Amino acid sequence: MAIIELKGLKKHFHAVKAVDGVDLKIDEGELLVILGPSGCGKTTLMRMIAGLEKPTAGDIYIAGERVTELPPRQRKLAMVFQSYALYPHMTVFNNIAFPLKAQGNLSKDEIRQKVEDAATMLGVHRLLDRKPRQLSGGERQRVALCRAMVKEPRVLLLDEPLSNLDAKLRATARDELQRFQRHLGITTIFVTHDQIEAMGMGDRIVVMNAGKVRQVGTPKEVYHESADTFVATFLGSPGMNLIDWGEFIVGFRPEQFIPKEVAGTGEAIQPFAFHIHRVEYLGADQLLYGEIAETAEDVITVARLPAALDIPITADRTYEFCVLQQHLRFFDKDTGLRIAPRPLGKEQTYA
Amino acid sequence: MREAAVVTSRPNAQRLSIADNEGILGTLFLLPAILYIVLLVGLPFVFAIAFSMADVSVGNTQLNFIGLDNFVNIVKTNQFRRSLFNTFFFTITSQIIMIILANILALVLSIDFRGKWIARFLIMLPWATPISLGTIGWLWLLDSKFSPIDWVLRAVHLLGPGTLLGPGLHMNYLGREELAMASVIAVQVWRMLPLTAVILMAGLTSIDQDLIDQAEVDGASFWRSLLQVKIPLILPIMNVALLFGIIYTVGDMTIVYVLTRGGPVYYTQILPTWAFFKGIEGGALGEGAATALFLFPILLAVAILMLRSSRRMEVT
Repeated sequence: MAIIELKGLKKHFHAVKAVDGVDLKIDEGELLVILGPSGCGKTTLMRMIAGLEKPTAGDIYIAGERVTELPPRQRKLAMVFQSYALYPHMTVFNNIAFPLKAQGNLSKDEIRQKVEDAATMLGVHRLLDRKPRQLSGGERQRVALCRAMVKEPRVLLLDEPLSNLDAKLRATARDELQRFQRHLGITTIFVTHDQIEAMGMGDRIVVMNAGKVRQVGTPKEVYHESADTFVATFLGSPGMNLIDWGEFIVGFRPEQFIPKEVAGTGEAIQPFAFHIHRVEYLGADQLLYGEIAETAEDVITVARLPAALDIPITADRTYEFCVLQQHLRFFDKDTGLRIAPRPLGKEQTYA
Repeated sequence: MREAAVVTSRPNAQRLSIADNEGILGTLFLLPAILYIVLLVGLPFVFAIAFSMADVSVGNTQLNFIGLDNFVNIVKTNQFRRSLFNTFFFTITSQIIMIILANILALVLSIDFRGKWIARFLIMLPWATPISLGTIGWLWLLDSKFSPIDWVLRAVHLLGPGTLLGPGLHMNYLGREELAMASVIAVQVWRMLPLTAVILMAGLTSIDQDLIDQAEVDGASFWRSLLQVKIPLILPIMNVALLFGIIYTVGDMTIVYVLTRGGPVYYTQILPTWAFFKGIEGGALGEGAATALFLFPILLAVAILMLRSSRRMEVT
């Protein structure tokens, strides 16, 4: 059942269409990631759900109830900001207790009990007497999460909650956050521009660009069955190679662009002569930058090969590369939308 | 993406000009400010200290050192004691009223509404007006016979025979003990309010918007968000604003001098006006200087305490 439903949601700041007609259903208990480049409207979308921005048009429903005009405090949601927004003048205890005190119907003992329970669950009970400035980044994030969870919200909104952590901590925090969400089964909307976070954590991913939803789907769907050229190139690093094929656009992912001899026998392949300019060694992988005969001269095509693959490749030489037919993707030239496969000519079966 | 820092070096060291010497340049830029402070603040202050400990008057300008006799003499007089009390009363009352009103004003001004810039401009006007001219305006508004305020009160039937403020036809603001004090306090608040409100507004707008949003999502009402989040966060700034207010109020004589000249009798006499009447108009330079300097140690202590606590309240 959808706990949140957005219908034709728009937010315009004068001429800027930050969110431009979004329809979305969020299921109870799922972790939905909103992914997009900065400025795509994802944070504005989340702030509208929280009630911090008033939509220019459209409606928001929470648990079937229309809440478009309700102020944040009547929506029973919790939000963790990118900056964690801990009240700097309050102790950790008072920070966590703040939403409970604001409810106004709990006794001091009940509040103490709830704060201590939540703090124990997130492992911050030792920090209750400290001020936010005495906490590390990871501790701040847990305290912020604790404050969000203590009032048992219907939905948890997370605005890039991991981007303020250093790279090493981020991987652990990602894992922790996901287990925590699964454990409580709380509906969570997670906004991020980091596709690794999105792919790794999301039950479903909403890919946004320029105020519009480009695709909604599981991580596998959006990656392998990208709905348009934006999603195809935004996901993956590097993104999908796109080749102008005259009537339409052909795309394939760098890791699916392989030396001919690697393809299995009997596979239907599309061969390309790949002239390599530069080899980038990345430890586990190597990236090959070059061009193929079918594209214009200044279009760079990238291949990603496992470094373990024992084929000697040097720059400034041309190799026989190929893509399995099943890995080719086709897009409309005008709209950028995915279309059915077309014949390219030169198909071969690798013998 | 982070870009590597690019290090450039000049191939040929060019001739150094005076602008390359930070020591000389710094001194040069500081000089006007130092001269200004020494000549217009430092020297008079030293003179005041010298006068306050000397038997000096307009008729006898020789500096005969007499220790603290001037201070002992002035404390003995009723006028001085009343002025001291009035100074505290005037300062504390006006600051309390001012800080409350300034908070409200700052809150209103930090909200987005149409014509906000014109509201801000109008509110800054009292501060931009020369203080004596503004006070003369008030002198007319509070006139014993022709006060427009009285006229309005009569028009709405609050003043006159058989009304709340009656039976007289005039309030005579500056001629009655309590009203005169209330009037100078009101004008002082009017004068200080813009500066304080603007300082507080700057404080409010500098609060991280995330914190205010967070309070809203956390379910805080307007009052909870104001009293438990916003006000605690601008306390250090409010402290500084208050310090300004106190110094401007304790040290300024214009409003009282123009409105009441300390009267009626000496009900609105404050130390700065009393020092002026005594020292300049009365010619007793020594006692005048002693009166003017009397509050200096207290003010200094207040300033140091407030600046210190301001730093301690700094939380981020």
